[in-house]
Amino acid sequence: MSEERLVSPIETRGVAGTKRYAMVVDTRRCIGCMACQVACKSEYDTPLGVNRTWVPYKVVGKYPTVKKQFLPRLCNHCDDPPCVRNCPVEATFKVPDGGFVLQRYERCIGCRTCMASCPYNARFMLPAHRTYTNITSVVDKCTFCFHRVTQNLVPACVQTCIGRARVFGDINDPTSEVSYLVANNATQVLRPEEGTKPQVYYIGADRNQTEFGRDAYQRRDQMDQDRSAFNNFFKI
Amino acid sequence: MLDKLKLNRRTFIKLSAGTGAAAAAAPSALHAMEKELGGKDVGPVTMEQRKAIPINCHVCNIQDGAIAYVENGRIVKLEGNPEHVSTRGRLCAKGNSGMWYTYDPDRILFPLKRVGARGEGKWKRITWDEALAELAQKLDGALKEDPNSIVMKYGRNRSGGVIDRFMNTLGSASVINHTSVCESSKKIGMEPTWGPDIETPDFANAKYILNFGSNIMEAAYFHNPYAQRVAEGLVENKAKLVTFDVRLSNTAGRSDEWIPVFPATDGAVALAIGHVILRENLQDSAFINTWTNVTVDELKAHYRQFTPEWASKLSGVPAETIERIAREFATTKPATTYTYRGPAKHLYGSYNEKACMMLPIMTGNIEVRGGYCLPRGMGWPQPQPEPPKAAKHSTLAHPPEYPLAHHKVSHLTPFWIADGRQKVNVYISYQDNPVYTNPGADTVWGKLLRDEKLVPYYVSMSPFMGEETALADLILPDCPYLERWEPESMPNSLWPWLGIRQPVIAPLGEARENRVMMRDIIHKLDPTGARGMKKYWEFKDGEDYLRHHFDKIPGLKEAGGLDFLKKHGVWPIYGKLDPKNGKITDKTGREIQAEYGLYKKELSAADMAGAVVGKDGVITKNGKAIGIRRDGRNCVGFSTGNRLINVRVDEWAKYGFNPMPTFKQIPWHKAMKDDELILTTYKINVHKQSRTAAVKWLAEIMHSNPVWMNTETGRKLGIKTGDLVRIESKVGYMVTKAYVFEGIQPKVVAIPTAFGHWAYGRLATLKLKDKPAYGGQEDPDLNNVWWDDKGVHPNDIIPVVADPIGGSQGWFDTVVKVTKAGPNDKYGDVKASWDKHVESFKETMRYAYTGDLHRKMHPEMASWAGPESAGHKEH
Amino acid sequence: MGDYVWFHDVSWHATYAIYFFVIGISVGLFFFSFLSWHRPAFESLRVKTAYGSFAVLCIGGLLLIGDLSQPLRFFNVLNPAYLHFTSPLAWGAMNIVSFSLVSVAYLYMLNKGDDANAKKLAAVGALLALGLPIYTGFDMTVHQSRPVWNTPLMPPLFVAMALVSGTAVASFLAAANEEAMRMLRLFMIWSAGAVGVMLVSLLGTTAYGGSAQELAFDILTSGSIGLMFIGLGIVGGTVVPIGLMVAPYGRQRNGLLLSAALILGGDLAMRISLLMGPQIVQTLY
Ligand SMILES: Nc1nc2c(c(=O)[nH]1)N[C@H]1C(S)=C(S)[C@@H](COP(=O)(O)OP(=O)(O)OC[C@H]3O[C@@H](n4cnc5c(=O)[nH]c(N)nc54)[C@H](O)[C@@H]3O)O[C@H]1N2
Ligand SMILES: Nc1nc2c(c(=O)[nH]1)N[C@H]1C(S)=C(S)[C@@H](COP(=O)(O)OP(=O)(O)OC[C@H]3O[C@@H](n4cnc5c(=O)[nH]c(N)nc54)[C@H](O)[C@@H]3O)O[C@H]1N2
Ligand code: SF4
Ligand code: SF4
Ligand code: SF4
Ligand code: SF4
Ligand code: SF4
Ligand SMILES: [Mo]
Repeated sequence: MSEERLVSPIETRGVAGTKRYAMVVDTRRCIGCMACQVACKSEYDTPLGVNRTWVPYKVVGKYPTVKKQFLPRLCNHCDDPPCVRNCPVEATFKVPDGGFVLQRYERCIGCRTCMASCPYNARFMLPAHRTYTNITSVVDKCTFCFHRVTQNLVPACVQTCIGRARVFGDINDPTSEVSYLVANNATQVLRPEEGTKPQVYYIGADRNQTEFGRDAYQRRDQMDQDRSAFNNFFKI
Repeated sequence: MLDKLKLNRRTFIKLSAGTGAAAAAAPSALHAMEKELGGKDVGPVTMEQRKAIPINCHVCNIQDGAIAYVENGRIVKLEGNPEHVSTRGRLCAKGNSGMWYTYDPDRILFPLKRVGARGEGKWKRITWDEALAELAQKLDGALKEDPNSIVMKYGRNRSGGVIDRFMNTLGSASVINHTSVCESSKKIGMEPTWGPDIETPDFANAKYILNFGSNIMEAAYFHNPYAQRVAEGLVENKAKLVTFDVRLSNTAGRSDEWIPVFPATDGAVALAIGHVILRENLQDSAFINTWTNVTVDELKAHYRQFTPEWASKLSGVPAETIERIAREFATTKPATTYTYRGPAKHLYGSYNEKACMMLPIMTGNIEVRGGYCLPRGMGWPQPQPEPPKAAKHSTLAHPPEYPLAHHKVSHLTPFWIADGRQKVNVYISYQDNPVYTNPGADTVWGKLLRDEKLVPYYVSMSPFMGEETALADLILPDCPYLERWEPESMPNSLWPWLGIRQPVIAPLGEARENRVMMRDIIHKLDPTGARGMKKYWEFKDGEDYLRHHFDKIPGLKEAGGLDFLKKHGVWPIYGKLDPKNGKITDKTGREIQAEYGLYKKELSAADMAGAVVGKDGVITKNGKAIGIRRDGRNCVGFSTGNRLINVRVDEWAKYGFNPMPTFKQIPWHKAMKDDELILTTYKINVHKQSRTAAVKWLAEIMHSNPVWMNTETGRKLGIKTGDLVRIESKVGYMVTKAYVFEGIQPKVVAIPTAFGHWAYGRLATLKLKDKPAYGGQEDPDLNNVWWDDKGVHPNDIIPVVADPIGGSQGWFDTVVKVTKAGPNDKYGDVKASWDKHVESFKETMRYAYTGDLHRKMHPEMASWAGPESAGHKEH
Repeated sequence: MGDYVWFHDVSWHATYAIYFFVIGISVGLFFFSFLSWHRPAFESLRVKTAYGSFAVLCIGGLLLIGDLSQPLRFFNVLNPAYLHFTSPLAWGAMNIVSFSLVSVAYLYMLNKGDDANAKKLAAVGALLALGLPIYTGFDMTVHQSRPVWNTPLMPPLFVAMALVSGTAVASFLAAANEEAMRMLRLFMIWSAGAVGVMLVSLLGTTAYGGSAQELAFDILTSGSIGLMFIGLGIVGGTVVPIGLMVAPYGRQRNGLLLSAALILGGDLAMRISLLMGPQIVQTLY
């Protein structure tokens, strides 16, 4: 794999004695059911307007040869995460054993620098209103379900994945299913050129989905109407 | 760095705790110990393990086994039950958000009595006692006049017999379901042919899957369990999936091949595929000759007429594609077809379904591993004593014009009531919102339910202010599924099971679960038991009621009866969900295998005692066919009258319908002009008909429903994505936005259901400035609603059509004109006319076996002696 | 609309650009107060610019803190236990705090009339001031996935923008002072020129860049952002004022003030578009 050579001390991919959790997303199995997105929302009481994971789709081809492509998205728990590097108060940090990139909510000042430095839009600012959780107005993100994984449970999105497109495990363990899948299939990660060493590996992902700027190149006025509602709400 | 240290220590402890557990359980380290696939849940903030209660999902009707997790008395998480053989621990997007039925801020939490005009939205809170007294008094009046004047209309009825018990106790046969707007013609296409109303394809082991109009990856019976197996089949078993649909559903979009068809022509395509199979001798002759009521030669003779060229003209599917698919399907084993509403929801949908199911039959893919299998279900005994069936027959429940429509013709009810077929004194609705979900919607059902002459008294049993409930005189707040007791079983995998719903939390507010509510009504009517009603309703509570179902079932009884189900949610438990492959494995770690060839099961000596074997091989006992002798073996056969697969359905011929597989083109499709299109409607993965519009997580994902149109069609009509368009049918018009793209048949426009509500609470209607009005608790998160479009609902402009055989609504047959919206058209305008709907009603009745068009449509049945011969009398 | 698509908020809204803008002015003004010790022409500006710089600095500080979703936690940045040196924001916090302390001390000395110390403080302050545009530049440069931001140009560009905007404000303060105005004019021409040159090279590399740059260029040169960046920023805020100033009219007081006003408007417009443009591209991924 491209990132066998560790260039920064923070990387733990392939480092003996440490766990390096990763997710494999087999898009051939993704049916775009959105169960993962909603399971994650309920696991964390995530407010409307923001998401820790989301499943965009693209319709590609010309009638009558048309396909629908889904690409489940979430934080890549990068092995060399720019978000961590750029946090002025280390409110976001990487857990050495496991590679989780997490937040210290009580410390976050809300400067949004980490959002600016994430190439994947994986971070968001929590609004002031939530249903029952009192953590608000700080930056949040996917935690790779740290609280579940450390209790020997798979992440919530993996747990409910109808297509079993999401598989989670320790990629430093050569006998794990993720290692097996990565070794056995052609995989790709998102925006590898950013040097973030993403730990979400995609099987069968479509370039209409993975390439940066595709949305901008083929604008869909359809979503633009909704987008402008979103932009108005967030005053973008 | 202090605080980092602290967190890291915690991190360290947690991590080692996790790995510790893993190490402990790890096998001889040949394979990594993968994380568990659920069964427990931990609070992300509290880090505490959450209380787990097994239940059965009922956001939609697929009936997945689930677990509800409770933290600080609140239902915070829903998850699939890992012990459930069909669900295997996973829930769909809807199932994951079911707690919002319970916590819907606009939920009704106490009885409401109408003040002001019907539908005006003015309500008075009353006590249960006042409510029950008022209702009892109305029922009393009705009973004196005619028990059948008490009409019960239910949609989703999972009460396990309570509603029938209630109506039988009252002695009314006027019980109407929603099945005719659902899939009934599929059921009617199948039942006379092989017994059950549905198939169970073994997707995981199939090599070839031919899907006719089932959106299995988003909807269908049974979305979650089946989609899991389809994904498995496609990737692990390298199966090929071919989908016929008029538009690019997610299933079509994820299939190896999407084959667009012209609406309502699947039957023709299926017949032509059969033609090629028989022409090229690719059929399974042994199976046909042994297990069906026709011979291969008869079949070949009959299918000769259905050429690919003929089907191609009708369907737009190239003849060579039909031939290729036919060869692939017949020569790839095992193979299965799957259908859902696509072929069935048309005039003559029953013929379409029948034609499709002929393919697995003629290729012998019935009840084989990876093939087209019989459904596996389980039942339960009813508490005793049981009330007798209602004495007097109801023409609303069983209209004489539709003798073959055993699942009723509910969507024509308003017209029959308006005709005065059946006087209505009390109309009760339960889990049924025809005002939104039926053809004609508010124009038809709204008119009926607003008319105090036709419907003098309307009581809705519902927790939500749906479009129907908004028109009621009395509202009795039922409990959503997470607060009630119900028995369950669904044939949603190859393994039969029994399950329960049990209250995860005590009912909120004054909500009362349906069975308790009905008991209280009966007790109010018959306090002393003198009227002989009370004795059928002697149970303490929901749990007590379920004990009567489950404590006597052999096997389950030994396992602990209801107590076992309260603990596990489902029985039997076939094995353990294996984190290494997401499958259920037995004690030895091997994937559990299903039992195939059910129809070949041999009858026991006990069964055979006193049975006689006819010369046709049919084994009868006490006048009932219990099996069939084949190759010297006494097999159970299929659950039909002759224990065979009836390719020829003689009962159909009795009413002048073609008993053999056939196809009828829809006359108004044949007569279509160039500038006309066909409006179809469909379901999407994240909504459940009318009932999820108030579920915020689902509404956020999808909240509006522009009309789909093919790029080519858009170009012709000068319509671009986002343009306002006017869609005009013969009964009315609507104004909505267009979504022009490649994924739809050029002669079709499509609008999904579940949007454009005018009731169902503040989120569904985007009236979020108001406050919760019926006792519900506000959700602060609703401040974050960012979207401003609630969509437009098409049902008002969809005319009624009834399949003369199956009685099913022709949802996908509506001919429309689509034009750019005019200067006076506003987004969301919907106008339709009752009178025009009445015309369509009269029109569709002409196709019934008693109607004048029936013969014209069946020249091949010229020898049929007419309706009178089938005992029909003009009344 | 109609089918599920997911949208993303931008990280930084316009407030952040305004913060950059005012900080720039504060820096520029302080610079002149420092120069006034070495260039007699500016002596009359010394106190005015010092106070001006501090006033604007306060506004900037308030903007910065107010833009945090947890303003009260601003002090976390100064907490040595939290300090994270790989983040330019951390340096920035140090820099801005020390600069304000020095400014306060400097003003105090000016009031006390302790010229010896004031002069020393002015020198220290000037160095710290120089740090501000550099750190704000880095604040954008370090985000490797952002087109336009992630270029070595950002820090020097921000320095030049600070100077030019500071000079513009100073020219209003300089009022009747002929000599000062003459020098300010030269300053403005050269610093505006420098900004112009950097913008041109920035646009060049962006236009000829990969897909991200290509899209950023598209957004920066079209639509409302284009109007701000090219229209108000490059043309209205750089080319036109330079033209004016080299023309005779620009040598007159009003001409110079007009150019100054144009430069200020342009500077703000450029800062907003430079901040928002690349972020809009990012929301599309
Ligand atoms: N997410 C979700 N799941 C559900 C439900 C829900 O509301 N939401 N409802 C449940 C219920 S009650 C039911 S009945 C099932 C229904 O499940 P399905 O029948 O699978 O879904 P529908 O959308 O009713 O129709 C299926 C497809 O038929 C296509 N179609 C229309 N006309 C034709 C035609 O002439 N030929 C062919 N081949 N296709 C055609 C439509 O484009 C649509 O994609 O889903 C169940 N599951
Ligand atoms: N345009 C269009 N229309 C369609 C379809 C389509 O594909 N397109 N699909 C058709 C199909 S397949 C079907 S099956 C029908 C379904 O039609 P319906 O069964 O009428 O619709 P539902 O949305 O399932 O639920 C009806 C009502 O049940 C009530 N309800 C919800 N939860 C509860 C509860 O816990 N207790 C009680 N007592 N009441 C509750 C709510 O008031 C809700 O309005 O819709 C049909 N309508
Ligand atoms: S995906 Fe973004 S948020 Fe997640 S670790 Fe990488 S950079 Fe940080
Ligand atoms: S927003 Fe919070 S987590 Fe992100 S960089 Fe700023 S302080 Fe760190
Ligand atoms: S891993 Fe956990 S937090 Fe991350 S997306 Fe999946 S469910 Fe959400
Ligand atoms: S749950 Fe799995 S199958 Fe469904 S959308 Fe998410 S990743 Fe795809
Ligand atoms: S398909 Fe989804 S909503 Fe329906 S029962 Fe299963 S989990 Fe629940
Ligand atoms: Mo249905």
